[in-house]
Amino acid sequence: MTNTEPTALTAEQTDHADRRQRGTHLPGDGHMWLMVLGDLIIFGGYFIVYMVQRAMAPAAYLQAQQHLSITIGVLNTVVLVTSSWFVAQAVRAAADADYERAVRLIYGGGACGVLFIGVKAYEWTMKITQGYTNSNEFFMFYYMLTGVHMFHVALGVLILGIVVRELRNPRRRRPSMVEQGATYWHMVDLLWLVIFGLLYVMR
Amino acid sequence: MSATVVAASGGEPVGTEPRAPASKRDLWIVFWIFPTFFGLFGVIFVLLARVIPPPRPDVTTDQKVQWFASHATTIQIGFAAVCVVFGGAAIANGYVAYQMKRMTSGPTFAYAYMGAMAVGTLPGLLLVALCFSAATFRPDREPRISAMLYDLGMLSFNGSLGCFATGYLAFAIAILYDKNQIFPKWLAYVSIWQIVTEVIATQMWVSSAGPYAWNGSIAFWLAVIVFGFWLNCQGIFLKFATDRQPAGSRPAD
Amino acid sequence: MQILAEAEELPKTTNIRTQLVALWIAAVSALILLIAYLAFPGFWPPMSPRLTAEDVAGFYRNHTAWIRFSMVTFNLCGIMLLPLFCVVVVQMKRMATQSQVFAYCYLSAVVSGATLFALADIFFAVAAFRPGRDPDLVMLLNDLGWMVFIAPVGMIVAQNLMLALAVYHDNGPTPVFPRWVGHLSLLTMFAMLPSACAMVMTGGPLAWDGAISFWLRNGAFATFVIVMFFAVRGAVRRQAREEGIAR
Repeated sequence: MTNTEPTALTAEQTDHADRRQRGTHLPGDGHMWLMVLGDLIIFGGYFIVYMVQRAMAPAAYLQAQQHLSITIGVLNTVVLVTSSWFVAQAVRAAADADYERAVRLIYGGGACGVLFIGVKAYEWTMKITQGYTNSNEFFMFYYMLTGVHMFHVALGVLILGIVVRELRNPRRRRPSMVEQGATYWHMVDLLWLVIFGLLYVMR
Repeated sequence: MSATVVAASGGEPVGTEPRAPASKRDLWIVFWIFPTFFGLFGVIFVLLARVIPPPRPDVTTDQKVQWFASHATTIQIGFAAVCVVFGGAAIANGYVAYQMKRMTSGPTFAYAYMGAMAVGTLPGLLLVALCFSAATFRPDREPRISAMLYDLGMLSFNGSLGCFATGYLAFAIAILYDKNQIFPKWLAYVSIWQIVTEVIATQMWVSSAGPYAWNGSIAFWLAVIVFGFWLNCQGIFLKFATDRQPAGSRPAD
Repeated sequence: MQILAEAEELPKTTNIRTQLVALWIAAVSALILLIAYLAFPGFWPPMSPRLTAEDVAGFYRNHTAWIRFSMVTFNLCGIMLLPLFCVVVVQMKRMATQSQVFAYCYLSAVVSGATLFALADIFFAVAAFRPGRDPDLVMLLNDLGWMVFIAPVGMIVAQNLMLALAVYHDNGPTPVFPRWVGHLSLLTMFAMLPSACAMVMTGGPLAWDGAISFWLRNGAFATFVIVMFFAVRGAVRRQAREEGIAR
């Protein structure tokens, strides 16, 4: 499965290292950046609508927000930021051609992602059994924003899984693959920070 | 480049050779029906039927009856026109399914796309034509019946979500696995976004006002913007695929 | 057509056989549908859009049994015409000088169109289900049934257009269909096209009971199906001869 000794660098890996030194390197892949930008724009639209709606009914939103637990929100934030740290370290490891370490770090990032989803699912269950459902406008936003975000996290875990599969194969391992996965993952993290701010903190 | 790519994937004729000088006229005829149909669709649904942008859900029965009365003429003309031209949807979607069959990812999702879109036409397009035509056909109908037709028409048109989500999923998966690059990879990502907007739009079945209603900023406007972008991209890349298809070739059976 | 003795057990013969079976299923279904069509009191004469709600409710009360019989028969056998159109798709895919694009669009249109046909009889049958229902509701169901049955001709327009274009592009030495099939398709298409106005007209030849929207439309479609049965059977026989399966 994984080699026990460092393999010779492929042509692509050498080229990648050269470009990084010269500073002309765009990490990741054009398609992925297009996807990330589109995602950010669309989410941006949702955030703007949220803020407008909130401005139109501040008292109602404030009252509904009291029912969210800031502790769980902070816990989720810490988990996700940690996962981003793991993934960033994995990018560096891949650039240094230390693929075994990169795979371990990505597992770490993925595990945090799964933990995030678990905590979120727990939070949702609590809220639903307490009766805060989509009959309330704030909670409709809450479920929608965190739901779509959760879908992105799940997709991210899938993408990290694909990266691990590619890294395991000595002929297919490339630093650019890890960068693509990292680009997506950092976007997911960034989106969460905004959601956390809007839903939990902004009171 | 395209000839070798297609040949390597096995997309070249299986068994039968074209016996006349190969021409792509059949492809181009069908291709041009795609933008023609969607152009007509836009004109009819926006200017005549007044269904895009949608009338409000948060109005009284009398206001709904009033809305039908004031737009009756254009609604009737619009939906009679729909009855003639809506077959263009089948041709447009059939052509996308045909190009999907040229992908290396196999015919499975091409058939899934064709099936999902063919079924979706009834609840997602025809039902609003029926309901609004029935409402304007007899202006003296009981107000509560006309109001019900208003709701039934709008909710079926904007709220028919699963058929199209299935189609978009088939489209996205087929693109992601395709090595022939019939469509670009990022179009798969936009298709996944389409699915997300469909899921978010489910809230229109719950809200009669606000951003999640069938005319809301999130359930309608943002969704329509993403849809418009996606549709234009699909059309443009359909044209590129038609350009690159070798004359006289056909997809593997 | 006689299948050759030496071809009896060949795999490719089963393709010919299933196409012929499909045609016969469609033929029998068409016959049954014709009986149902004759049995529905609402077609003889076709119900006027100008009837009052009371008249319409009375109609459903007085003819409940025949309405139920005919509509259930339509419900059961209407889509069994589909195999005929599927054999057309198979034959379209055999056309040598083209890319098969018309066949795929044709299939899409056939499937979509079939969903509409499946819906129409349901409205009439529900109207007959509770004869005591409020007349304005019975009238609504009746309106919806007629509108769905007569007006949305778009899918038939699309499929006939695709068939005609395919026939006209089939320019090799062994065309699948004779050219007049293309002409007939277009003719049928134009004959049925005006029925879209039944969504709007309450009287006259374009209303759902009128000479154009009802008689011409249904007559043209029935003629088309009957003639296509023979044309498609001819195409299958030609295929059998070309592939050495039959004399």
